Amino acid sequence: MDTRAFLKGFRFVDSFFPSGSYAYSSGLEAAVQGGAVKNSEEFSHFVLEVLTTGLGKREAVAAGFAHDAIVFGALEIAVKTDWELEAMKLGRELRMASRQMGRQVVRSAAEQSDRHPLIQDYLVAVEAGQSPGHMAVAMGLTLAAAGWSKADLIAVFLYQAATGYVAAAMKLLPIGQREGQQLLDGWLDIIERIGQDAAPQRALSSWSPVQDIYAMRHRQLESRLFRS
Amino acid sequence: MSSLGLSNLFRATPTVTDKRLTVIHPAVHDSALDTVGRHGSLSYTFKREGARTVLTHSACSSPWHYFPPTFLDDSGCAYTWLVNPSGGLVGGDYLTVTAQLQAHTHVMMTSPSANRIYRSEGKSAEQEIRLTVGAGARMEWLPEVTIPFAGSQFRQSIHIDLAPGATVVLWDAMASGRVASGERWMFASYENEIVIRTTAGAAAVERFLVTPDSVGTMVKSWDYVGSLFVVGDSVDLDRLAILESKLDELCGQQPRELLGGVSRPAVPGLVVKVVARSAPALADFLEAAWQNIREILWALPVAALRRY
Repeated sequence: MDTRAFLKGFRFVDSFFPSGSYAYSSGLEAAVQGGAVKNSEEFSHFVLEVLTTGLGKREAVAAGFAHDAIVFGALEIAVKTDWELEAMKLGRELRMASRQMGRQVVRSAAEQSDRHPLIQDYLVAVEAGQSPGHMAVAMGLTLAAAGWSKADLIAVFLYQAATGYVAAAMKLLPIGQREGQQLLDGWLDIIERIGQDAAPQRALSSWSPVQDIYAMRHRQLESRLFRS
Repeated sequence: MSSLGLSNLFRATPTVTDKRLTVIHPAVHDSALDTVGRHGSLSYTFKREGARTVLTHSACSSPWHYFPPTFLDDSGCAYTWLVNPSGGLVGGDYLTVTAQLQAHTHVMMTSPSANRIYRSEGKSAEQEIRLTVGAGARMEWLPEVTIPFAGSQFRQSIHIDLAPGATVVLWDAMASGRVASGERWMFASYENEIVIRTTAGAAAVERFLVTPDSVGTMVKSWDYVGSLFVVGDSVDLDRLAILESKLDELCGQQPRELLGGVSRPAVPGLVVKVVARSAPALADFLEAAWQNIREILWALPVAALRRY
């Protein structure tokens, strides 16, 4: 990847990008309050299982399809994938969070100086309600248009999800910045492997029932730091 | 081509073509082992006749056993039992259930006992359910739990198409194995797909493939995983909110035994996901949930199924 392509994509995954992801814990807050996650070891299990059999089998594959959409110039691949995500994200909180963050990404991507025509078409579809605008699709299209490989964009999508969990965990658990960085370091090989596994997949699936349940229970918490 | 094979199919559409699982004709195989397994189908068509839902067509082949629907109360609902006298599925079995519910019918389908999936070193056991629910009709799909034995391979797909005004109540649950024998999460593979589509084009999809290696420690402390869907575009929003609140309450009533969450999928209705530590906890939850669904949505009591 050349430097220009790297920077074009990096802007969207950098924590400086205003996706609003800081507002979501994706069920972690409910799991902590429910006593299922009490320390860094349990937190690591929570995240790795989401990454390997949840996001890694669903959003990661969807991001890969978005890469295909750019490569083949086929908007319909992105739109179909978007609707599949909409149908599969059964919990309203996570579904709406994904749509909110995805819209931020695609709107900004469509305003770039050298914007890709397919991303502009995708934004039109999203704004017209013809495509939900999920984060995995928006990010996949944006990074693919920037010139990132499918494996790289899937890996960075998962890495971004992992950093979101760590950021939330530092507010919810006795986990400091150094420990958070150590956790991320320990997950890098796994993220790389999940990305490589997800790239050739042709079907979306997801298995993280306990994490899904906690995400659904979040709206019932009496006190909340996060929106999911 | 199979409609399930997660690894080799492009499934990125909620309006995916309703392809049937491959039925391999024994004649094209050389090995006698390839003929292991039965291809059984069960199909029903229901129509409304006066206050009752009646069967207008049925067909059945082994291992399914045909039982005519019964009327357990005066609601007009046709209570229909899915009976497989062999008690379960072996590798190579390919069982289908199809049902067409014409307008304003009410059908409840259930099974007399758990669906056991036996060990297989060859093919998967496959089960395919296709339900078409007509305008204003009510479909309740509430089978007993599926128990995958150690070494078993199971693939299931449940597709439901809803006409305007139709409602489906769908429950699907799996056990970790033969829990009482200490056999937990030892099956070879378990694939499941649930697709509920409305005429408006929206869908709710649950699809997973789990193996002992991918179960995860968060799930491993539980022994049962279930999903409950209540979907229909004619469900009154106020009643739905009341039901959501009641289901929330039920999810918290057995804090040590059951963990559950309720949410709103991308189709009109509710989804509940639960994990439980025991079969009684799961059964108690389902019974209470069913009771509330019937009472709140339709002002109907639950029927005594006389299963236990």
